[in-house]
Amino acid sequence: MLRGPLTKALPCARILSPVKTLSTSAINNEKFEVFIDDKKVMVDPGTTVLQAAAMVGVEIPRFCYHERLSVAGNCRMCLVEVEKSAKPVAACAMPVMKGWRVKTNSEMTRRAREGVMEFLLVNHPLDCPICDQGGECDLQDQSMAFGSDRSRFTDIDHSGKRAVEDKDIGPLVKTIMTRCIHCTRCIRFASEVAGVDDLGTTGRGSDMQVGTYVEKLFLSELSGNVIDLCPVGALTSKPYSFTARPWETRKTESVDVLDAVGSNIIVSTRTGEVLRILPRLNEDINEEWLADKGRFAYDGLKRQRLLTPFVRNCQGQLIATEWEDALIAVAQKLQTSEIAGVVGSLADAESMVALKDLLNRLGSEDLYTEYPFPLEGSGTDLRSSYLLNNKIARVEDADLVLLIGTNPRFEAPLFNARLRKGYLTNELDVGYIGPKVDLRYDYEHLGESTDLIKQLASGSHAFSKKLACAKKPLIVVGADLLSRPDGAAILALVQQLAAKVTTDANVSSEWKVLNVLQKAASQVAALDLGYKPGTASIRDKKPKVLFLLGSDEGTISRGDVGQDCFIIYQGHHGDHGASIADAILPGAAYTEKQGTYVNTEGRAQQTLTAVSPPGLAREDWKIIRALSEIIGEKLPYDTLLEIRDRLGQVAPHLIRYGELEEANYAEQATELAKGVSSNLSSEPVDVKQKNLEDYYMTDPVSRASGTMAKCIQAVHKQKQSKYYEEAVN
Amino acid sequence: MSSMIGSKLCRASVQLMRCQPLSKSACCLSSIKSVDVAGPLDLKEITGKERKELQEYITVDQPMDISLVSGVPEEHIKTRLVRIATTPKNPMQSGTHNANNWFIQFDTRERWENPLMGWSSTGDPLSNMSVTFSNKEDAIQHCEKNGWKYFVEEPKWKTPKVKSYAFNFSWNKRTRTSTK
Repeated sequence: MLRGPLTKALPCARILSPVKTLSTSAINNEKFEVFIDDKKVMVDPGTTVLQAAAMVGVEIPRFCYHERLSVAGNCRMCLVEVEKSAKPVAACAMPVMKGWRVKTNSEMTRRAREGVMEFLLVNHPLDCPICDQGGECDLQDQSMAFGSDRSRFTDIDHSGKRAVEDKDIGPLVKTIMTRCIHCTRCIRFASEVAGVDDLGTTGRGSDMQVGTYVEKLFLSELSGNVIDLCPVGALTSKPYSFTARPWETRKTESVDVLDAVGSNIIVSTRTGEVLRILPRLNEDINEEWLADKGRFAYDGLKRQRLLTPFVRNCQGQLIATEWEDALIAVAQKLQTSEIAGVVGSLADAESMVALKDLLNRLGSEDLYTEYPFPLEGSGTDLRSSYLLNNKIARVEDADLVLLIGTNPRFEAPLFNARLRKGYLTNELDVGYIGPKVDLRYDYEHLGESTDLIKQLASGSHAFSKKLACAKKPLIVVGADLLSRPDGAAILALVQQLAAKVTTDANVSSEWKVLNVLQKAASQVAALDLGYKPGTASIRDKKPKVLFLLGSDEGTISRGDVGQDCFIIYQGHHGDHGASIADAILPGAAYTEKQGTYVNTEGRAQQTLTAVSPPGLAREDWKIIRALSEIIGEKLPYDTLLEIRDRLGQVAPHLIRYGELEEANYAEQATELAKGVSSNLSSEPVDVKQKNLEDYYMTDPVSRASGTMAKCIQAVHKQKQSKYYEEAVN
Repeated sequence: MSSMIGSKLCRASVQLMRCQPLSKSACCLSSIKSVDVAGPLDLKEITGKERKELQEYITVDQPMDISLVSGVPEEHIKTRLVRIATTPKNPMQSGTHNANNWFIQFDTRERWENPLMGWSSTGDPLSNMSVTFSNKEDAIQHCEKNGWKYFVEEPKWKTPKVKSYAFNFSWNKRTRTSTK
């Protein structure tokens, strides 16, 4: 075999090679034609047979191929005939050549598929009736469509089919490894997308097994995606096991609100109960993935729920009441202008605008969000200061990213997956200021000091050179870092740094260097609507009435407002907010209302009602609307479309669903930030979520979820394992 | 005269556009009857021209509103919000056969578990109505005709990706795979 370079073997290769490169570069630019089932298609060089077929609507069956993973080519299901080729070719791995005639429905192709199917089924159990994948199984469907109509499998020795021991890989993914057809999708997902290189194969031939080799849990914040990827029922959802068949459930397309990314989801329901949550394709946001919190925290929607209104009686006990009594009791207290409102992380824009209108009518301007943000300089007046300006999807194109005070792996797992994708495919380099955390890709750790930002902004740090040389640099700042007391100074410095990088690196005006990564789904919409960030001023003002709209982070406590303050909590979970409240109004969770949320990049999206709210709970904006009528300050909207008109009056982009409203005026914000007088503190840059166990419970829904609790337990268990190793980073 | 009757019949008809040869035939019959009231209808009297007319469609230029005569209770016209969208691909499977059809879907009303059998029950007659359309405009027209308020969600498309088996073995790239 020829193992040495071609030049050694062929004396004339040196003369030949320049000619060859010339001709390939000429070809590189132009499309050529190929024929798929006699249909002509023009393709770019390097297109695979499978992709070319997809262009003319011919779908070639596949098991191992997945367009978001690397090509493995090991299942052989995509074998097709190419004219003048003696053997069938694997469509997923083979690039098409000019003038090829591919036959996806010929006798040879059909026989090849039948053969592959027969081999797969020889060792696949016939347990479809008790398999959770039944009804949405690629193997089931493809054996019907492409398999043989009779079986040659006769177990004359009664030795049974191949049997493989099940693996315990954690509380989320159930394994039935006998069903595995070795497509290696889960392995490739784990090592490429999740960056947790724990899964692999051992043995060969019919002894081959997919597993972790040593007993180990597959713990990743993206682990649930292997359930979707698995074309058979080898990896299924543990919380959903034996719950429902896909044809029994109703699917509602909605949006995840447990982080600020706004992943698109499908909520499967039956009889008013959420049974599972799946991702929905959106290339701009979550591609086809979904983080584990968004996928598995749904059981939290059934626990700790507030089902009836409560009002505190004279003995100081919360008593369950009817809506009428609760609304009248609350309305009596609301006849004052000394009232403040705080919105939590899961509030929708409709209820926020209703609350704002109500409090404004009562003469109060004290409307706050739970998460602080610096108000000096341009504050929240210019959107570019608080948005992920450069879009989530374009992170892949960056060649240098500087992360400051954020752990995207746990604050926005799908944003981190994008970063990792850029790291793998686009040679992205990452710099990091903050405590050493494990991001599942290599990064240059610059340190923890806030001084570093100053050095970078002045250009005296060694990393400044890299920033100046980069073609598409990005700076991502965590919202937590900006919520520090010296947040204004940090933001001003980062804005300076971004402006410097923009001019030094000579980036185009479309590329936005400065990005802020938010953590709460409601934050951007709240700031767009004119809510003031942070609850500090409530402590100074001591209002007589405090209206908490789903605020459960504990940023404000009973001690901050005094015993005389009447606290109203409106929300869906009995969490921190409800524990300090004098009156509780039960609201709807995100699966139970049609609500508007704006994600961290400024894209407005809406959730849809999958189930109706439990008990006496009602949609949030309707509660506030009903309350306003009792007070005598009737809000002028009765239907969802009317309140959305109102949303559109305040901020038109809030009702342009699916579209991204870009922020401008970053330069002006930088100019205004120059007047910021506060000083940097010497406190090191920190992030709240450092380890995997910090990821699972961050909001009232996930805190009520038993599945999330099991995940934390599993992480602790893993740490005691003798095979556990700390991350290298 | 006959065309007036025709258009009235057409409006009154619950049938949709596609069924209009029927109403046209009804209008022709009525016009014949008005001429000759006494005798029974003789099919031979329908000339070739009329026969041709019977097979044509009537097109109505102005926007149609059939909500008055469709028999749908007012509550289910005025208070309903229809979502016009395309079916997403099932994330659990790689096939796309049923994906990307336009359909209409009504806002979700309360459902409950039937205490006798555990089946899912609802008081909403429209929740089980699944209608698919070949394009967005048809769906919009259908909603407008029925007097429903609606909103449209544009479909999400996949972006083409460069795939190569050779990436697994590129010696100087991070795409090189070590494990299988």
